[in-house]
Amino acid sequence: MTNFIIRRLIQNFITLIALSFICFSILALMPGDPVDLMMSANPKITTDDVARLKALYGLDQPIYMRYYNWMAQVVQGDLGYSRTYKVPVTEIIGPRLLNTFFLLTGALLLAIIVAIPLGVVAAVKSGSKLDYYINLMAFAGISIPSFWLALILIIVFSLNLGWFPAGGTETIGVNLTGFEYFLDRLKYMMLPILSLTIIQMGIFARYARSAMLETLKADYVRTARSKGISRIPVIMKHAFRNALIPIVTVIAINFSFIFSGAIITETIFSYQGVGKLVYDAILANDFNVAMVSFMISVGMVLFMSLVADLLYGFLDPRISYN
Amino acid sequence: MRKLILLIQAVFLMQLSMNTAMAKSTNKPTNKILKIGVAQEFENLNPLIMTMLTTTYLYKMANRTLVSMDHKGNWVPQIVKELPSLKNKKAVLKKGGKHGKYIVAHWEILENAKWGDGTPVTGHDVKFAWETAMLDTVTIGEKEVYTQITKIDIDEKNPKKFSFTYEKAKWDFSQLGTFYILPKHLEASVVKKHGKEPSGYEKNSKYTTDATNPGLYNGPYRIKEIKLGSHVELVPNKYFYGEKPKIQKIILRLISDTGTMEANLRSGEIDMISKIGLTFDQALVFEKKAKKNNWPYLAKFKPGLVYEHIDFNLRNEFLKDINVRKALALSVDRDKLTQALFSGRQQKAIHNVAPIDPWYTDNPKEIVLYKHSKRKARKLLKAAGWKINKEDGFRYKNGKRLSFQLMTTSGNRTREQVQSYLQNQWKKIGVEITIKNEPARVYFGETVHKAKYPAMAMYAWISSPENTPRATFHSKSIPSKKNNYSGQNSGGWKNKTVDDLIDKMDLEFNAKRRAEIASKILYHYTNEVPVYPLYYRSDISIIPKNLKGHKMTGTQFSATNTVEDWDLQ
Amino acid sequence: MSKDKNKNSNEDIEVSKTLFQLMREQFMEHTAAKYSLLIIVFLMVAALCAPLISKVTGISPDAQNIFNRYASPMTTNTLSEDEEESRVEEFIDSYPEEVRKIIAQIKSDDLAMSTLEDSTDDDLIFDFMATLKDPVSKQSWITKDNFSINYLLDIKESLTTFHLLGTDELGRDVAMRLLFGARISIGVGLLVSFASAIIGLLIGACAGYFGGILDSMLMRITDSLLSLPQLPLMIVFAAVDLGKIPYLNHFVGSENESVIKLITILCLFSWMTVARLVRSSVLVLKEQEFILAAKNLGASSYKIIMTHMVPNALGTLLVAVTINVGSAILSEAALSFLGLGIQPPIPSWGNMLLNAKEVIYESPALTFFPGLLIFIVVISFNFIGDGLQNSVNPKSIKR
Repeated sequence: MTNFIIRRLIQNFITLIALSFICFSILALMPGDPVDLMMSANPKITTDDVARLKALYGLDQPIYMRYYNWMAQVVQGDLGYSRTYKVPVTEIIGPRLLNTFFLLTGALLLAIIVAIPLGVVAAVKSGSKLDYYINLMAFAGISIPSFWLALILIIVFSLNLGWFPAGGTETIGVNLTGFEYFLDRLKYMMLPILSLTIIQMGIFARYARSAMLETLKADYVRTARSKGISRIPVIMKHAFRNALIPIVTVIAINFSFIFSGAIITETIFSYQGVGKLVYDAILANDFNVAMVSFMISVGMVLFMSLVADLLYGFLDPRISYN
Repeated sequence: MRKLILLIQAVFLMQLSMNTAMAKSTNKPTNKILKIGVAQEFENLNPLIMTMLTTTYLYKMANRTLVSMDHKGNWVPQIVKELPSLKNKKAVLKKGGKHGKYIVAHWEILENAKWGDGTPVTGHDVKFAWETAMLDTVTIGEKEVYTQITKIDIDEKNPKKFSFTYEKAKWDFSQLGTFYILPKHLEASVVKKHGKEPSGYEKNSKYTTDATNPGLYNGPYRIKEIKLGSHVELVPNKYFYGEKPKIQKIILRLISDTGTMEANLRSGEIDMISKIGLTFDQALVFEKKAKKNNWPYLAKFKPGLVYEHIDFNLRNEFLKDINVRKALALSVDRDKLTQALFSGRQQKAIHNVAPIDPWYTDNPKEIVLYKHSKRKARKLLKAAGWKINKEDGFRYKNGKRLSFQLMTTSGNRTREQVQSYLQNQWKKIGVEITIKNEPARVYFGETVHKAKYPAMAMYAWISSPENTPRATFHSKSIPSKKNNYSGQNSGGWKNKTVDDLIDKMDLEFNAKRRAEIASKILYHYTNEVPVYPLYYRSDISIIPKNLKGHKMTGTQFSATNTVEDWDLQ
Repeated sequence: MSKDKNKNSNEDIEVSKTLFQLMREQFMEHTAAKYSLLIIVFLMVAALCAPLISKVTGISPDAQNIFNRYASPMTTNTLSEDEEESRVEEFIDSYPEEVRKIIAQIKSDDLAMSTLEDSTDDDLIFDFMATLKDPVSKQSWITKDNFSINYLLDIKESLTTFHLLGTDELGRDVAMRLLFGARISIGVGLLVSFASAIIGLLIGACAGYFGGILDSMLMRITDSLLSLPQLPLMIVFAAVDLGKIPYLNHFVGSENESVIKLITILCLFSWMTVARLVRSSVLVLKEQEFILAAKNLGASSYKIIMTHMVPNALGTLLVAVTINVGSAILSEAALSFLGLGIQPPIPSWGNMLLNAKEVIYESPALTFFPGLLIFIVVISFNFIGDGLQNSVNPKSIKR
């Protein structure tokens, strides 16, 4: 078990390093560094200014040297300095990470709470009208473009009905604490969560249904039924527990999809999260921020898949790690 | 499936019904709080290293500069008593120095100008800012405004009085709009400690580490809270030297998606949209809608100094021919373009000088005007040997198609619309336009900057009134590897007469004669069409109807320059 | 494809119906899939015929009319004078005979005054066209039924356009742009999923067949690509300028560069599921007798993979490809929506949405229809995938 975790961690670490180099090179190869940009915006900047600024930013060195310098810095715990905001990267990323964490957890929880029972019900009542509609809804969820959904949610719920704000993270200028603060945050998170979860709901419901169907057909369930154990306990105790294994995998794999979705959602709703930061930083060539936030998001996803593997073992004692 | 369609129809109906629905009855904003939406990021307010448009907008609420420009385009003193000039004897022309002549100008800071912690603003702060800006370790962009000054002397008896000694004599020496002042009493220790490390000062500056310190601000407001990428909260600065601000709290909120900006306005999340907000198209449609439904908002448009144009790359084998350029210029109806796309809210450009500039001329005796006529354009092209091929409708000469690549920034809706319009117009005279757009970073940083576009590049620049066009017209300003790509004459226009006129202009101290030289330059510019002028951009703001005292400027100085006059009645 | 299935089925299943027939029946039982297939076929035919439709209706997806921007659905517009001038010009160039007759008539009847100082005979036609603006004079010509003048009247007539779904920010016809957008969006979706299927097939087959280090290496790459957040990666890749890469320079035309780039990026990130599927089915097949027999008979690896393994994995592959089309269309739309995908003026549903987003409150129809089309197409492909899954899955086939 410990061996397995260590091996997976090492693997993840290597993947992370390799990706960081690839990403670093691509970002560095993108034409137009910040100094060039500054220069074209301001005709009064002279050639001397350019040389001076490039040396200050370290842009006059070859890529591998810059990567080495960057790595050395990161290892020492210095994540660097944002070119866009002109403050240390940690200062920006900290609160944003927390915001994204709230958003993702919220979305994931909602999707699980709604979708899995639906999937189970659909499987149990397989072939019925209810099953048919749940299936239809699941397909609709998978197929809807999330950004379009987000726009429509804004129109309906914030412009038309006025239930939720059209964008933002929290009410500015008021100091709320405790439960009120929580409610305020929830109000701003509602629409982003909704637009994020609908796709996940579709995926989860479908997997839950098919996993459940599979286990319901299994011999041990039939045996349990024939022993005279009533329907509900069989479903819950035997079938559902076994169906959980593929469901958990799907949730973990989907974590990266949710994260990708968060980029678009956060941008549309102006929600201050890491996803939006990654997008903005890459487009603005804010090197350090782009690298760090990208690495964090990749790390998060890799970590989730490790967690999923561990849960897997917990749920299914037949699997051994070696 | 049918149920699904019904569901979709329901959503659609809701969407349509919203169209007729009134704006949510939000409370009129009062002087208690004003929430402003901005669409672009901002940074901390350290003036030496700030580069973003939103930051300069924000900066003027919290800090003041020596001089500024009013909404009519005149230079005015801001935190100083008056502008030094040869006329009022506050500036003296002296002989000597490297360039033969130089200027000494005497300034005096307003008596009651104080930083937000009560410390008076003095010449020491000015000198400290100048010294800091000159440090090699500070990543300041535009250094020239500081380097043109060789010495600063402070009056020993009255530290509010100081004098600048300029390197050379220049008629525009007092136009120091981007000369910023730093609070020496707070920042001196930072510079002392970190000034020698690369970027050491800016990383440890109080503007970064302690941004809410009132002592950093001398304007009508001070920063109470700043969350990068989210919002800024400003409250009145009780030590402000001028009139007391009327609005008790201003919140600047970043909503980077311009599509949802309007939703935020109408659901009351923000009360107004700054000039860095809606796209032109959105503003136009919003205006129409607001009028029709009597919403409590006013859409304000102010013609500005931003000059949108297309640079022709004169190294291109077809664009070399002046007749081709003239035909291109003749065949687009720019009146129609500005009328249809901008409802006339942005003006057609006939050359690089904006109408609010004293140098502006539209006299057909002085310059060449191109009245739209596709027939004339076709004749010109025919005469130049370009024959229409019936099969594809494009013109050919020696087997080569008359085809150009038109480049611009991607993601700029208005430019993309204009681009499509031009493509369509030029197709009608048999000219093929292929489109390639790049993100601003690549486009400005590489393509335009190094003149790498094959034929045409559409972009804009802002120039303050009475600006010598040396960087854009002079043949020495053609960017090349040799001059390390400095200069913005990226099309590569070479005209000996224009070069001479520009050199002559620098030495001309008489305003009227300067204007005459300018119109001579404009003749050559319009006659040879090295650049195709499109339109001057306008600034747009959406403000609540009850906001008084908000003056749009159209220049690089924002309406926040007079934020203390803003009043929500 | 179906023929291969046919051949195999005859050998190992002894039933009166062929496997293909069974599959088709099974597929048709899936109602949603059946209708989805109809929708997709209809849309694809419409998209393929888009130029034809454009020609017949006389509405071009690029024809602008900037005085009629943001028109609401079901409106009629008149084109600008510019367009009129071009059409007359075209007429003058193509029918010199008729033109001479008309000019003669104009001259003899003194129908129009020349307005240009250096006017030629041709210019008279333009001036005459201007007089037709007056409805009274136009009506009089219609009643006169002059053969030559009728040409000009026809031109005048062709300037009126009807917009089923309204117009966009440049006064272009939305319905026609949606139709041409379908070519791009569905085209990109199909191309990406086929290309990525081929990549996945090769990688999966190699990994499964050869095993060992190659297998574990390929699968590591596959797994790590699968687990990565794709959108940030795509954004990074989309920001690279292909033209700046020396060797690619020649292949990239300026106009469609964004399309090629987008397809490349999407392919790069969508082959993994296929690779996994193919690998697992190859692993199963490898142990089957007929493969072992082929091996013992001395068949080369290439031959075994191509003639035995690939056809057998085709069923699962087909399902994966179909579902991939949907997700590729969604990804294209998402990237274009972020401004990183297909660049205007090429219409794609994604960038039409991006353009419409700004005026979503004023012209909701502009946002609504592209989104709806994306939704319908994606859901249809997903249903078809589901139907195919049912029909190729031997467990679900009722014999």
